[in-house]
Amino acid sequence: MKLIEVVDLYKSFGDVRAVNGISFAVEEGTIFGFLGPNGAGKTTTIRILVTLSEQTSGTAIVGGVDVSADPRGVRSRVGYAAQATGIDRDLTGRENLILQGRLHGLSKVDASTEAEAILEVISLAEVADRRAGTYSGGMAKRLDLAQALIHRPNVLFLDEPTTGLDPQNRNAMWTYLRKLNDDGMTIFLTTQYLEEADELADDLAIIDNGRIVVEGSPTELKRGIGGDSVTLMPSTDSSAEDLEVMATAMRALHDTNGVEKLGDSVVVYLEDGGSRIAEIVRAIDTTGVQLGRLELAEPSLDQVFLKHTGARLRVEDVKPPSRMSRNRRHR
Amino acid sequence: MSLFSETMIITRRNLLKSVRVPILLFMSLFQPLLFLILFSQIFTSLANLPGFPYDTYLQFLVPAIIAMTALSSAFQSGLGTVSDVEDGMLDKFLIAPVHRISIMTGRILSDGVRIVAQAAVVIVTAFAMGARYETGLAGLVVMIFLASIFGMAWAGLSNIVALRTQNAEVTMVIGIILLFPILFLSTGFMPTALLPDWLDTVARFNPLSYLIDAERALVNDGWDWSLVVQSIVVTLGLGAVTLTGATRAFRKAIS
Ligand SMILES: Nc1ncnc2c1ncn2[C@@H]1O[C@H](COP(=O)(O)OP(=O)(O)O)[C@@H](O)[C@H]1O
Ligand SMILES: [Mg+2]
Repeated sequence: MKLIEVVDLYKSFGDVRAVNGISFAVEEGTIFGFLGPNGAGKTTTIRILVTLSEQTSGTAIVGGVDVSADPRGVRSRVGYAAQATGIDRDLTGRENLILQGRLHGLSKVDASTEAEAILEVISLAEVADRRAGTYSGGMAKRLDLAQALIHRPNVLFLDEPTTGLDPQNRNAMWTYLRKLNDDGMTIFLTTQYLEEADELADDLAIIDNGRIVVEGSPTELKRGIGGDSVTLMPSTDSSAEDLEVMATAMRALHDTNGVEKLGDSVVVYLEDGGSRIAEIVRAIDTTGVQLGRLELAEPSLDQVFLKHTGARLRVEDVKPPSRMSRNRRHR
Repeated sequence: MSLFSETMIITRRNLLKSVRVPILLFMSLFQPLLFLILFSQIFTSLANLPGFPYDTYLQFLVPAIIAMTALSSAFQSGLGTVSDVEDGMLDKFLIAPVHRISIMTGRILSDGVRIVAQAAVVIVTAFAMGARYETGLAGLVVMIFLASIFGMAWAGLSNIVALRTQNAEVTMVIGIILLFPILFLSTGFMPTALLPDWLDTVARFNPLSYLIDAERALVNDGWDWSLVVQSIVVTLGLGAVTLTGATRAFRKAIS
């Protein structure tokens, strides 16, 4: 069953087309990754799906409920942890959890019981009665995740759940998410991290400039690359024609899966790239162009991203636009 | 869930926060208490003027200080709203399947409760300084109630500013700027007979005067129901305007 179905979704802020006609579906019980650089439209999409924002056009159905027709129905079915954590720093972790539980209709007793259980699962039991303002970044993110879980939602929406975390905390978060998914939770997560998408997502959509540029499982996407890739860069003092000369030489090779010029480099896709380096170097040599750098890479999401967007995905740990300015700009 | 129980959950949370960060509670109490102590000393001899209605200036002053407490506390209401926006708590409330307006009703109601506690502090302090309350405990309950609903009405205004600007500094500064004109252009600090004519006229249009007059009667003269009802009517009129405005500003801010 499809738990999320999005068809032709658009969202504009004035002249800015933050989401520019996207469609996708998420199967129950899977982890769906939304991978893209800063400003791609991830947060905008997720805010529409959890009813915090209204789309300009298109439809979104979550848990069988249309987000525009019955937003409250959607709210009771989804859990959401925002990119910037949403916790009350003056309350303890436990109080934060109980508050969310109560707001989602749990009785006092149920909210306490659930809070107790989740605190255990998410390894916050020891600090549960400390003010959330004293939590480290990793603990705050985990508390935020716990808050999204307290009412046992059908779908979990996580906006960059590990951005800003150190590798240790990131790994811990991955473990929790995988565990939740093993227990049946459907998860929609956005990320700027290739490894994260690779590690967690059953299905993946790469989003750039408000559009989905490619979609599939990480394995499929990597297979779509056409084998290993060899990236060739001419030495720094070479000209634009040199790049073309190199590309032409590479196109003349047999048994490649494609040659592309990307930025100031030429990329050759071929099977078993390691065994053909010598052949490639010889071919460049005969053109007389000075080779500056050569890189051999197995198919990776990095390559997938590069191939479909023409740029490398660089993580900028730029702060997301503050909620205040975002709200102020909201129309 | 009913709007009522949602409002209660949010009210409780706001109050818990007030208790955890008592600095805000004291901030809006500090000036009223300072005024109570200083003015009751500085203006002691006013009580000797012909036409001054009471034995001591303190008896005259206490109702004004209670009203001031309600007003300055109300003007902080919006700060809580701005901090909820900044902390992502507003979003947390918005994604819960509750009536969204409970975020506002919970905010205003918690202000009302906070003012009850603050007014009680003022009343006890004044008592310790020698003030006496003519209508006894029942009168105090009515006085606190009047101050509390009056404060809730003004809290609406603070939230309009907070939601429109989403800026803590602006919200605070506008509260500070408004506080003193409203306070001093009222019947609070000088018997009307001793006010210049123009000020007397202005004070008659000031909602705060109605609260102060009712409280003053309850403190000094006994049960004057017509003043109590007048104060309630004025508060309801004011509240209708500010809370409608706040609701609108809220809907706009979250859409
Ligand atoms: N409230 C808003 N008003 C105006 N522009 C916005 C608003 N929210 C997002 N944007 C713009 O929409 C684009 C997508 O933003 P966002 O969805 O936050 O991207 P991501 O989460 O992928 O980093 C960006 O260009 C951003 O500046
Ligand atoms: Mg984002």
